Formats: sequence, structure tokens, C-alpha cells
Amino acid sequence: MSRLVLKFETEMLKEVPLGTRPVTIGRAPDNDIQIDNLAVSNYHARVYVEAGSLVVEDLNSLNGSFLNDIRVERAMLKDGDAILIGKHEILVDQLNDAAQPLDALRKAPVPRVNETMVLDTHERRMLLDAAVAAGERSQLSPERFRMPTLIVSRGNTDQKEYRIASKLTVIGKSKMATVRLRGWFTPEVAAQINKHEDGYYLGRGDRLPKINGVTINGLTKLNDGDVIDVGRVRLNFMYRD
Amino acid sequence: MHIEIGARTDLGRVRKNNEDCYLIDSSLQLFVLSDGMGGEAHGEVASNLAVQTVLTHCRQGENSRVTPIFGESRPDVSERTNRLASAIHLANRKVFETAASNPEQRGMGATIVAAWIDAERLSLAHVGDSRAYLLRAGSMDQLTADHSLVAEKVRVGILTPQEADASELQSVLTRAVGTNGAVEVDTDEQALLVGDFILLCSDGLTRMVTDPEIASTLLTSATAQESADRLIDLANENGGVDNATVVILRVIEKSTGIFERFKIWKRYSG
Repeated sequence: MSRLVLKFETEMLKEVPLGTRPVTIGRAPDNDIQIDNLAVSNYHARVYVEAGSLVVEDLNSLNGSFLNDIRVERAMLKDGDAILIGKHEILVDQLNDAAQPLDALRKAPVPRVNETMVLDTHERRMLLDAAVAAGERSQLSPERFRMPTLIVSRGNTDQKEYRIASKLTVIGKSKMATVRLRGWFTPEVAAQINKHEDGYYLGRGDRLPKINGVTINGLTKLNDGDVIDVGRVRLNFMYRD
Repeated sequence: MHIEIGARTDLGRVRKNNEDCYLIDSSLQLFVLSDGMGGEAHGEVASNLAVQTVLTHCRQGENSRVTPIFGESRPDVSERTNRLASAIHLANRKVFETAASNPEQRGMGATIVAAWIDAERLSLAHVGDSRAYLLRAGSMDQLTADHSLVAEKVRVGILTPQEADASELQSVLTRAVGTNGAVEVDTDEQALLVGDFILLCSDGLTRMVTDPEIASTLLTSATAQESADRLIDLANENGGVDNATVVILRVIEKSTGIFERFKIWKRYSG
């Protein structure tokens, strides 16, 4: 027989069998599943059986009910689905094994979404935490702090070494250049380096730069130790502790 | 820098009203685009309020140094970029509060992408899945990261880009203006070169027209306005499933080039 399992983080709190009567969820004590949390409305949602299928229905709650990351008003449930109410999860268990949150994200049949919807920051964090927990590559985990630096090994520049502290680093003759080049024919913007969430990217300006001898093709990520050639100027890109 | 501007917004072939919005202040060189969402016509309210707020706040910031900065001020970007981000934080509060005080508007929101040019520096700030692109020397790069569920899943490694394109959930956003009390604004800066194209657009364009088609349209049009018109026509030809808006900026020439400087020198030396 089916049951609903109330979970908070990794802890199972309560189990409620699903019979013919609807199961109510909310903060008020007369709910079948009571969740004593300010983010939960007094009568937040209910789960019932309709024409042989399990259905979850949000009861116009303030913060909404979420099925596998999607905010729903009414949706059909299947084994392994997770209903998120506030910070509590209610798992649907029809065969006696609860599915992993990551599987729920990947395989759950999702209601058709034509209109634009927005997830809140909690769901977004949940999504990323699930990915990290499952060992997936996460580009958003910060590494220990290393200062990106450019060391000049050849060329006419105003300094021998530059720290990359800005989002935009210009290499050229321009007043806004960090790496100020000199020379009659030097362009204002010879090349530029952009800081993105996952690292530093070298892009062209009036010159097409090379990384380790290879001409770049569009914005290219810089790795520790790369050698950058911009015209006659050679710079070593390095992370310093 | 002298910028040639082209812009167009269109209902598309399927929708009943246009919830996209754009505003251009050519003297400030400030360009803002927004794609609204919410039942009925509330998307229009949200996107209009968002772009108006950004424009007003940026103008105020130029006129008075004591205009406060909303959200955090970052040390690694210019004052202009911080001001642009501040404007979006303010727009978020305004749309959020408007929605909170009108029950029918609850849940309304918008995407936003804004570009501000100061001499050779382009300041960019955005929330949502409306985009900015840079086309330089025949090569086009997307400057903004989409704040959508499918794009986040691709970045984290759960989905491949192909699976993302085929997904039914492409319109689910992870960030929007007006749906939460606070929002995280992404910023970027670029150094502009003569010959560059900057394109701001809503997803109504990019869902219907591929990146290579966009690039070749920009490169083969005589003016920025012609390319804007052609891109919207293409979006409609390919289905026009959503409202589509484009703002195209072409960097034409620097205000004082080498010949200008020579003329000025000649003038002063009699």
C-alpha cells in the first residue's frame, strides 16, 4: 500500500499511509501531517486519490508547494516524487523504496510548462546541493584563494608584473588598460581578460592573441602557467598563493 | 565612441499581447531590455516598470553623486557598472512591492538586460534569460549566462546543451526581477572596438533564430536598424512563438581618431 514519508534534511520524521481519505498537510495541529514551521501555511496542501491516481493539491498557501522543483497547484504523483513544503520534503512511497533526490530531478515526468515560472533561491540551492552530493562536477564551488597574476617576459610594458583584480583587464595603450603597452602602432585595446564565475578568459581586441603558441578562437579559458602572446608582448598567466 | 542603434520589438505570431519592453537613452548611451511574465497583461506592467526604474535611477546617478547604491557595491568593476546593478536591485524592489500590494499581480516578474557605454567601456548587467552578445571580427560570443533551470543544469553537469535545447522546461527561470524581495544581479564589462556589434535580445528571438543566422544577419545588413528588422522577420518566419525584441548597437568610430587629432594639431599650430 502507498504511504507518504515526511522528511527534514536527512531525517525521516513521520509516515502516513494513503487510504481513501485525503491526507492534509499544514501547520495547524488538526492536519494529518503537521509541519510546525513559519514557512508553512495552516492548511498548506493535501494529497488524495482521484480516478486511481495520487494527486497533490496546494491549498492557496503563501509560499507554495513544489513537486520536483516546479511550483504546482495540482499535479499527479508517482512513486519516488518529492513534494517540497517550506523546508520539509514529503516523499511518495508506493513500493517501499524512496528514490534519491537526484533521480527525482532527472527522471520525474514533469508537467508541461508553457508559461515562464521562477524557482526561488532555496530550490536552486537544493538542485546544486543534490548535484554536488551525487559527485557531479560543480563549477560553482569556490577553490582556495589564489591571486591571478600576469608576469611580463618580453615586451614594452609599464610594469613587470600585474595582479588581475578587476572583472575586465585591458591589454593595450588605452587609458583604461591595466597592462599598458607602449609604441606608435600599439592598439588601444590589443586584447582583454574577463573574469567569469569559473575562471579567467582571454579574448581578442585589435590583435588576435595566442595561448601557448596557439591562436585563440573566441573567448578562451586561461589555465595556471599559460603563456600569452599579444603582438610582440609575452605574458605568463599564473595563480599565486 | 559613436554608436549606431537599431531596435525592434514584435508580438510574434502566437501571443495575444507583447510583454517585452525596451528603452534607449542615446545621450546617456544606456540601453535596457526586459521580458515580462505573469498572467493576464501583468508581464507588461512588470517589464515596463523594470526598464523605467533602471533608466530613471541611472540618470539620477549621473546627475547627483549622492544617489544611493542599492545592493552591494563591487570593487572589481567600475562605478558605472555598480550603478547599473544598483538600478536593477531597485527595479526588483519596485516590481516586487507592486506585486505584493495588488493580489492579481502576485507572481509577476521580468527578465532584464542592460548595457551602458562610457567611452570604450561597455557595462553590462542582467537577471534572467534575456541575453547580450558581442560580435567581433566575425565571431559571436554570448556575454550573459542564462538564469534558467536548464542552463543551470548544463553548467552543473546534469544536462548536455543538446538535452537543454530539447527540454520542455526552457522557460523555467532561476532568477527574475520582482519575484523575490532580493535578487542577485550578474555584471560584466567589455572594452569596445570599432566594428563591434552588441546585441541585446529576449528569448523570443533566440528560440526561433540560431546564433549563426543572427551573426550573418548582423554582418550582411547595411544599418543596425535593417539588421533589427531582418532578425524579427526571421523570428516570425520560423514560427514567432513568443514576443521577440532586439536592440543592436554597432560601434562605428571613435570620437577622436588619428585624423581628427592631426586636424586639431594643425589647427593649433597655425
